[in-house]
Amino acid sequence: MLLVAIVFAIFLVIGMPVAFAIGISGMMFFLQHPELPISIPLQITVSTTQNFSLLAVPLFIVAGNLMNRSGITEGLLNLASVLTGRLRGGLAQISIVLSALMGGVSGSAIADAAMQSRMLGQQMIDRGMTKGFAAGVLSFSSLLTPIIPPGIGMILFGTIGSVSIGRLFAGGILPALLLGVAMSLSVWITATKRGYPPERSTRPTAKETITAFRGGIWAILFPVILLVGLRAGIFTPSEIGAVAVLYAVFIGFLIYKRMKVSDFIEALESSLGDVGSVMFLISLSAIFGYGIVFERLPELVASGLGTLTDNVQVVMVLIVLLTIVAGLFVDATVLIIMMTPIVLPVVTRLGGDPVHFGIIFVIAATLGNFTPPVGAAMYTVCSILNVSIKDYIKEGWPLLLAISIVTILLIFVPSIVLYIPNLIFG
Amino acid sequence: STGQALAQEYVLRLNHVHTPAEAYHQGFQKWADRVFERTKGGLKIEVFHSAQLGVEEDIIEQIRMGANVGQNTDAARLGNYVPEIAVLNGPYLVKSFDEAFKLAELPVVQGWIDKLATQHGLKVVCFDFSQGLRHVFTNQPVRNPQDLSGLRIRTPPAPIWQEATRALGAAPTAMAFGEIYPGLQQRAIDGAEVTYANIRPNNLQEVVSHVSETGHILLLNFEVVSTTWFETLPPEFQTALVEECRVAGQETTKVLQAQAETEKAALIEAGMTVVDNVNLEAFRAASEQAYKALNLTDVRDALYKELGR
Amino acid sequence: MKAFYRSLTRLEAILAGFFLIAMICMVLLGGVARMASMPLNWTIDLSTGFFAWAVFLCADIAWRNNTLMSLDLFTERLPSTTRRVLDKINLGIIAVFLCYGVWYGVTLAWASRARSFNGIPGVSYSWVTSSIAVGCTLMLITTLIKFKDARLEHAPPTASVS
Ligand code: NA
Ligand code: NA
Repeated sequence: MLLVAIVFAIFLVIGMPVAFAIGISGMMFFLQHPELPISIPLQITVSTTQNFSLLAVPLFIVAGNLMNRSGITEGLLNLASVLTGRLRGGLAQISIVLSALMGGVSGSAIADAAMQSRMLGQQMIDRGMTKGFAAGVLSFSSLLTPIIPPGIGMILFGTIGSVSIGRLFAGGILPALLLGVAMSLSVWITATKRGYPPERSTRPTAKETITAFRGGIWAILFPVILLVGLRAGIFTPSEIGAVAVLYAVFIGFLIYKRMKVSDFIEALESSLGDVGSVMFLISLSAIFGYGIVFERLPELVASGLGTLTDNVQVVMVLIVLLTIVAGLFVDATVLIIMMTPIVLPVVTRLGGDPVHFGIIFVIAATLGNFTPPVGAAMYTVCSILNVSIKDYIKEGWPLLLAISIVTILLIFVPSIVLYIPNLIFG
Repeated sequence: STGQALAQEYVLRLNHVHTPAEAYHQGFQKWADRVFERTKGGLKIEVFHSAQLGVEEDIIEQIRMGANVGQNTDAARLGNYVPEIAVLNGPYLVKSFDEAFKLAELPVVQGWIDKLATQHGLKVVCFDFSQGLRHVFTNQPVRNPQDLSGLRIRTPPAPIWQEATRALGAAPTAMAFGEIYPGLQQRAIDGAEVTYANIRPNNLQEVVSHVSETGHILLLNFEVVSTTWFETLPPEFQTALVEECRVAGQETTKVLQAQAETEKAALIEAGMTVVDNVNLEAFRAASEQAYKALNLTDVRDALYKELGR
Repeated sequence: MKAFYRSLTRLEAILAGFFLIAMICMVLLGGVARMASMPLNWTIDLSTGFFAWAVFLCADIAWRNNTLMSLDLFTERLPSTTRRVLDKINLGIIAVFLCYGVWYGVTLAWASRARSFNGIPGVSYSWVTSSIAVGCTLMLITTLIKFKDARLEHAPPTASVS
């Protein structure tokens, strides 16, 4: 695995596209293991595309492109301008709220980040925000999506650790709210310091407000309709992207009546490049992670954790740190599957609550999606907005800091997580 | 020569879809420990839970290419290579566990196993691991095939399974195992057909209220490795691998049988309604259609003949 | 030759777009059918099958349009001659990788011919695996064209290279 990491670093330095750098360096592991068929890397790459829940990613990319041409995005922007009014960086705040709303329907941070990058990214930059800041907000705010129920991370943790999924779902609500508030504060501080212009200088008139609501109603209804459809069992979380596409087409052609067939084709054409750059990278990433699973690296490190201290909170902090480090290279799903059976018993043995720990662990594992050098949500946003990773890191860190502060708070105040589950389930 | 063979270390990486809390994982671990002990460390089995090494079908392909990996699989998937073997996954095929364990000795079954090994590179080490009877878990009682009519029951995505569920009267719905919970919670499906032991580890009691004891499939699992790899092993290692697989498999099956009872009690305790007056005759008669749809009736009858039925 | 390549890329875009739309339709159809209590299980398989093809065709489109991300942290400070050499090294390594992809992609498709496509008996999984072989072939062509273009760019002896 060391060879893989070294080769990967060299490829990144010489400017090789990240997708190829990940795939080719991942190959090194197989060259070191002649007992493994050399076709496995290709097999894994194809298999990634057979994952029904990843299907949401291209679907939401198409949906985002269609929303821009159907008038939904414009309606949303007008409404946002009225609602956030004189708040600096209002559109960045909208991105946080929208991620929370999308969280109720989709469990995929990558899908959410992809759609919103297309819908809001360019608009944020046009309003004077730096590219790095816009990318940071769009990427990190999508952390809310898997934490707000339903989320695949919680289901995985609950299944592997035999923890009540209902309780985990309920446990995610307050932490997600807190994360949203913390990110919102962080955005507000940056926006004020930088002097990002507010959406408008005057208070909106009643008439303006009504018009904005009338124009934006379909944008607000969008997550609501998805939510109703999901709760009514009309579709499943992994099908939701297709419904989003249908919604955008329906509103564009029949309600706003401004979309033409040529708009539809253009939206599809611009989706092709997005899907290619995002999904090719994600499917090749699986090659990179294979060796880590094969050699059980996180398991080896994690199994030693319990012997270090008897303080459950300190152990949780150590696990979170380890998870974040492992998450630099491995996908959140893989991390949860590998580490849950090792770290959960350590925590419960010391008297920790499995639901409390689960929420914290899922947040930490999901963070891997947003951090270099391997992070699917990060690359998704950066490639759609054409932002360099350097700018992303330079401007995204205050959000990472906000998330870290909340995570530490959650570790030391378990009742924030456990309040709602105890209220519902007793 | 034995000394030299022992000096070399063999590693088998065994992949399975179960969680570490389930009896299968512990059963595989026992198999691994005993093989390790018996071969004095010469043959090491590393067990990977939750399909960490990859998708079942992918691993089977890697096995065919000669990789030193193993997979816990079922007759439905092996039916891709030797179609007749899928019959072992058929509804109401055997009457008891004893009958199920006898299958391995039947010449016709041996023929299929040999064909898998020689023509497709898939060496079946044993198939004594059984998860036991599968029942229908829904939010309403099911006594007759008619009660299943129009119900969307999650079923693994293999033809024999789909046809079995269809024959019993339900609408089979292919879905990944992990989607069962949200699917049921949001009523995208109306039920699932699984074993008692599958319920609590996956929290399904939170989203279904009734179990109807149809016992429609006695699920046998197959431990498969590469023929090429298997043949590189010294003979005594081969014997150790096979014999310990059978022992661990039958033990695990018994553990699961006992567990079905305790799990059932725990589920009743948790408020689940057990429907045990299921019209089994009606279901058994209905299941005929599954064999017909897949042209497996003759295969099954040949099997019954050797079983003396 | 150029005209042929242009129509090839056009066809590629049309197919990729078709696969995306077909994916969406299959997912919707599957949901509607399940809602009507008549689940169609092949819709999932068809949609993921189209997914594989869409991904690898789109990957070539992204590669051709230079929208695949790279980290410019270090290269942006280098003189343009050094950068050009590095570009060629990159393209060379990528070409070797894609050759591997083509060759073993075909091998994989051949190996998976017996594996049935879950919900649809009689349909081979090779229809899915061959997507990566085709995708790698297209990307290999793109890489070679990039390599050739890089040489052309280099050829005119304009002295302004500092
Ligand atoms: Na967002
Ligand atoms: Na969610």
